[in-house]
Amino acid sequence: MSEDDNERQRILKARAVALAREPEQGAAEESRIGIVEFLIADERYAIESAYIGEVYPLKHLTPLPCTPAYVLGVINMRGKILSVIDLRTFFDLPDRGLSDLNKVIVLHDGAMEFGVLADAVIAARWIPRSVLLPSLPTLTEIRAEYLMGVTEERLIVLDGGKLLSDRGIIVHEEV
Amino acid sequence: MSDKDDEFLKRLLVTFKVEADEHLKGLCSGLLELEQGAVPQRRAELVEIIFREAHSLKGAARAVNQVGIESLCQALEGVLATVKRNELPTSAGLFDLLQEVLDLLAKILPKAGTERTQEDKALQRQLISRLEEAGKGKNGETGKGGTRETSKGGNGETVKRGNAADEECISDSTELPDFPVQKDSPIQKVCSMPDSVRVSTARLTSVLLQSEEMLSAKLASSQRVLDMRNVSATFGAWKKQWARIRPLVQELKSPGPRDKVRGEEPGAGRRQRSLARVLDFLDWNSDVITSLEARFAVEVKSAERDGRALGGMINNLLDDMKKVLMFPFSSLLEILPKIVRDLSRENGKKIDLTISGEEIEIDRRILEEMKDPLVHLVRNCIDHGIENPAERKAKGKPLRGTIRIAVLPRDGKVELTIADDGGGIPLEGVRSALLKLDTLPADKVAELGDQDLLAFVFQSGITTSPIITEISGRGLGLAIVREKVEKLGGTVTVESAPEAGTTFRIALPLTVATFRGILVRLGERLFVLPAMYVARVVRVAPDDIKSVENRETISLDGKAVSLTRLARVLELPVSNGETNFSDLLPVVLLAASDTRIAFQVDEVLGELEVLLKGLGPQLSRVRNVAGATVLGNGRVAPILNVTDLLNSAIKGAAFSSRRGVAAEAGERAGRPHSVLVVEDSITTRILLKNILESSGYTVVTAVDGLDGFTILKSGTFDIVVSDVDMPRMNGFELTAKIRADREYVDLPVVLVTALASREDRERGIDAGANAYIVKSSFDQSNLLEVMKKLV
Repeated sequence: MSEDDNERQRILKARAVALAREPEQGAAEESRIGIVEFLIADERYAIESAYIGEVYPLKHLTPLPCTPAYVLGVINMRGKILSVIDLRTFFDLPDRGLSDLNKVIVLHDGAMEFGVLADAVIAARWIPRSVLLPSLPTLTEIRAEYLMGVTEERLIVLDGGKLLSDRGIIVHEEV
Repeated sequence: MSDKDDEFLKRLLVTFKVEADEHLKGLCSGLLELEQGAVPQRRAELVEIIFREAHSLKGAARAVNQVGIESLCQALEGVLATVKRNELPTSAGLFDLLQEVLDLLAKILPKAGTERTQEDKALQRQLISRLEEAGKGKNGETGKGGTRETSKGGNGETVKRGNAADEECISDSTELPDFPVQKDSPIQKVCSMPDSVRVSTARLTSVLLQSEEMLSAKLASSQRVLDMRNVSATFGAWKKQWARIRPLVQELKSPGPRDKVRGEEPGAGRRQRSLARVLDFLDWNSDVITSLEARFAVEVKSAERDGRALGGMINNLLDDMKKVLMFPFSSLLEILPKIVRDLSRENGKKIDLTISGEEIEIDRRILEEMKDPLVHLVRNCIDHGIENPAERKAKGKPLRGTIRIAVLPRDGKVELTIADDGGGIPLEGVRSALLKLDTLPADKVAELGDQDLLAFVFQSGITTSPIITEISGRGLGLAIVREKVEKLGGTVTVESAPEAGTTFRIALPLTVATFRGILVRLGERLFVLPAMYVARVVRVAPDDIKSVENRETISLDGKAVSLTRLARVLELPVSNGETNFSDLLPVVLLAASDTRIAFQVDEVLGELEVLLKGLGPQLSRVRNVAGATVLGNGRVAPILNVTDLLNSAIKGAAFSSRRGVAAEAGERAGRPHSVLVVEDSITTRILLKNILESSGYTVVTAVDGLDGFTILKSGTFDIVVSDVDMPRMNGFELTAKIRADREYVDLPVVLVTALASREDRERGIDAGANAYIVKSSFDQSNLLEVMKKLV
């Protein structure tokens, strides 16, 4: 066995030890959240990425009769029917300009699933939880219960879990 | 580690529950048959079967450490062993005890693996001691003498029956070898079936859903073939054009005029050579297109062939898949004997249950859905239908009442009949319940005939039971039965004769997977109506529409039928532009449970096979919409709920008065202005269309500049509203192209765009646009004002 071999073994071992170490966790991990940032009518919103299944291009939308205004219709997502809603209408926000809602952001948890329409998806990124400030009434017109917080650069982070579990978003109407 | 063990135990428990459930069913049906009194040979078989089932259940429970179930089974097995040795006569009291044990087992089995309640534990201890006592008690008396009452203290009748059974038991004791029936007992048969596999229903359902999804592949493929044929047809158009141009090309190629030109102009030689090259290219071009056409024709042929092959394969797959999920009715009906036994005992009635046709097979999902309605109807028979023995005696009927359940195949459907020979439905009771409910005026109620009254029993809130019992009497049950049956695409009717009994007939489809639908168009939207509710599709002349009491009616088969517009019922804008008043109007006659209403649509496109899909969890129930289906072109079309439509039509002031509609149209003074909206974003397109339509414009939409220009050429428009940023041809290019066309020099063009810069605005004006609206500052009054100025 040569000196080189020993050296090689030593290096490999050191690497293995380094790789085997569990990544640093704890405070840093807990204080960050993954978000997907998107645009609706020139306003920047974000939803925690844990609630986002995928982003789907809107090709054909079939409007449904006898549904509330915030239900824009249904789409065919690989053979499955997915309802899509307009968040701005749902939040009762005033119409601000005309938007090109052509991306469907699919929100889901175990039980609920629907799509929300966005003009464009800007980015998926991590933000520290600490930058989220409780919303001030002047910052946004969305009711506080749907908000996770607002960042200093006025990014509105919506509470995806609250949206998904909100009974008010479910349509159940009989004749 | 412990996590893994837990996980493993959980999985074991799931398997255990399935297995235990089967043992329990075996025990239950064996016990019931035994109680009904079987011939000695069969009796011995039955005792053996239930003994083995108890034994197997005990073993299974031990394997997953379910001590409670194990000890219960142990005691059960003990008693059954004494019965088997003919040391214990089978009395009614004993059967009651055994049924009680099964009830408890059925109750605690699903909860296996979780902590049991004190109550269950106490009951379990009590039952075990009673079982032990029952088993022990007989030993001393060696099978002779009175029946030992183990519970409740039965009445004289049970004792008598117990003794009869007892005697039978003894008489065949000598012929009973140790394991006499082991070889051909049913259990043995099941175990020795090597060509069957146990698959979980969840997995099977998922496979079925996937194969049903193949239907959309089939539809898509036939749509592709149609599209390709259309492309083929454009070759024909090209051929015609080419045939017209070709002589011209030949003429230009001929040397005569060329020489003349050469003489006149300098430099003409070079132009001649260019012209010759262009002409040669045209010839070559036509050759290429001709050969392309031939190749394309071959491709269309193979696509057709592939489509047919795929279609055939998918049809076979679906058929086979449906068969896999077909279950005999017996799997649903087997729960009934026990229910009838327990309930009639509680009610002090004597009831026989006869079942026929249980071998007929039907989609498993229908059986699952039918469980509650069936149990409800049977409970109704026991609670309301069949009288107690004293009453029956007074009426001169046999003391024992009968409930007959029959399954019969009928014209591709299945008819399930639940009949009793009881007192029938008291019609006066229905009448007074109807009056109490106060939904109909009293004089109307008084006029109702027997048949009409009977139909009301399915309405919620109607009950004829003077007291509300645990079983029924709340007047909800039959309404739920009807709802469930109709959800499955079936119908339920009732016949009743005083003192002769009541019969419920339920017609069910064999499968829920796919059905035929009628595709109709309203404006630009497509809807599917389930064909089973479409009684007729007719075209009526506007003159044939008669107004009766301010409601429109048409005459079909000599009967007046109410007419309404589907669009109005669906709360959609009623389009007037397309249907000329002199044209025949397409009308669909919808019928469900005796209500018939005609719905006017814009067009009936045809019949097709559809697969019903739910609208997802967010749209739990939408008025008038049952679900959706994916059409061959991949688009989604809503499937309408006919029961809802009929109710909406009746409830709402949906019945249109034709005069009203005409007046509305008249207000707009003359022909509405037509707008071409060119916009690639689907949501903006729909929004613009809605805004413009609600302001009285007729709107046609295009998805990009090129599409827009083609549509513009094919119709007449008063104004164009276009987006700027679009694929293929943007708004600036479209505007320029419109302006370049002599026909459209004066056509107003409004650009609506996200581009807000001054340069962009100038570019728009340069291209010839009449107005430029920036999206970020868009509001509809702004747009409408601009448009009013321009047209």
